[in-house]
Amino acid sequence: MCDSCGCDLTHTHTHDHDHDHDHKHTPNSQVIEVHQNLLAANDAIAASNKAHFEAKGIVAINLISSPGSGKTTLLEKTIERLKGSIRIGVIEGDIETDRDAQRIRAKGVPVIQLTTGGACHLDAAQIHKGFHLLEHEPGGDQLDILFIENVGNLVCPATFDLGEHQRVVLVSVPEGPDKPSKYPKAFISSQVFVISKTDLLPYFDFPVAEARADALHLNPRLQVMDLSSTTGEGFDAWIDYLTSLHGKNHPKAV
Amino acid sequence: MHEMSLVQGLIDQLVALAAEHDKQRILTVTVDIGPLSGVAIDSFQFAFDILSKENDLTSGASLTIINSPATYRCVQCGYEESASVRPDQCSKCQENLLIPEGGDAITLNQVELE
Repeated sequence: MCDSCGCDLTHTHTHDHDHDHDHKHTPNSQVIEVHQNLLAANDAIAASNKAHFEAKGIVAINLISSPGSGKTTLLEKTIERLKGSIRIGVIEGDIETDRDAQRIRAKGVPVIQLTTGGACHLDAAQIHKGFHLLEHEPGGDQLDILFIENVGNLVCPATFDLGEHQRVVLVSVPEGPDKPSKYPKAFISSQVFVISKTDLLPYFDFPVAEARADALHLNPRLQVMDLSSTTGEGFDAWIDYLTSLHGKNHPKAV
Repeated sequence: MHEMSLVQGLIDQLVALAAEHDKQRILTVTVDIGPLSGVAIDSFQFAFDILSKENDLTSGASLTIINSPATYRCVQCGYEESASVRPDQCSKCQENLLIPEGGDAITLNQVELE
């Protein structure tokens, strides 16, 4: 199934239908016009998630990237920087293990680990369940920002709305600058593009301007930031972005 | 790989439609997969071929996939054009920043049942 798993997809499905085609219509056959999005069920739950987040004054952010782009490290450093000013909660998505949740829990914020058991993305129903579990964690019922760290995968998560307010896509310097062009959906559907691990720029061929231009070519509304969670370089812009999201959500508190 | 879960959702929807209309068999299914939906059409077809066989209602059903274009709006002059493949630049003013609109849906258009 997966484009990269090596299965033999040699059939090309050219289906012209110029031959006489007896579909064996029976007197009982009926054609129904449906015109319903296949994601309608997911989107309905996503809308309900969003309403739930808003009723509680929470901004939800969906983090999408390949495995190893630094999503969890970004969260660790973000929690350190915002501790005491913005209350953060995290839903972690992985195929197996609660290692990421352990790392976040060590930073002292409420976290729930969702393990998909093989599925390549999180969907709205999992977030619905995960958020209710998170509400029962200490501090989980009073949050300002909810981070949803999606399963490491730049393809499938882009298709599933979780009810988030903002979608942030990360690409780390070692991955190379061509990810926006190769995986356009994640960049078209996001509001923010973070180029991470910029402390490694001296060791990799990663023209930041080119990656930025490619992403903006796909989605001119994208806000692009480059940063290193390790050295803190460029991190202020990220913190300003989060603070301003929180400010817009709570205009009276600012 | 998410095509499998999308097709599973489609099959569930087909089973519900058949029950609603008191039908025993799905004959044809037409799905519109937008060029920006992030769905690989071959993978979707492959998933349908496998999953449709697991249910008496959908076994033997034929799937037709159409690919409606997306609309690209120029940030400079506002000109809109539809295309299945993203144009490199605006065909009116040559600006290369175009905002995509639509083309990201996966829609079950039509079902024939008996």
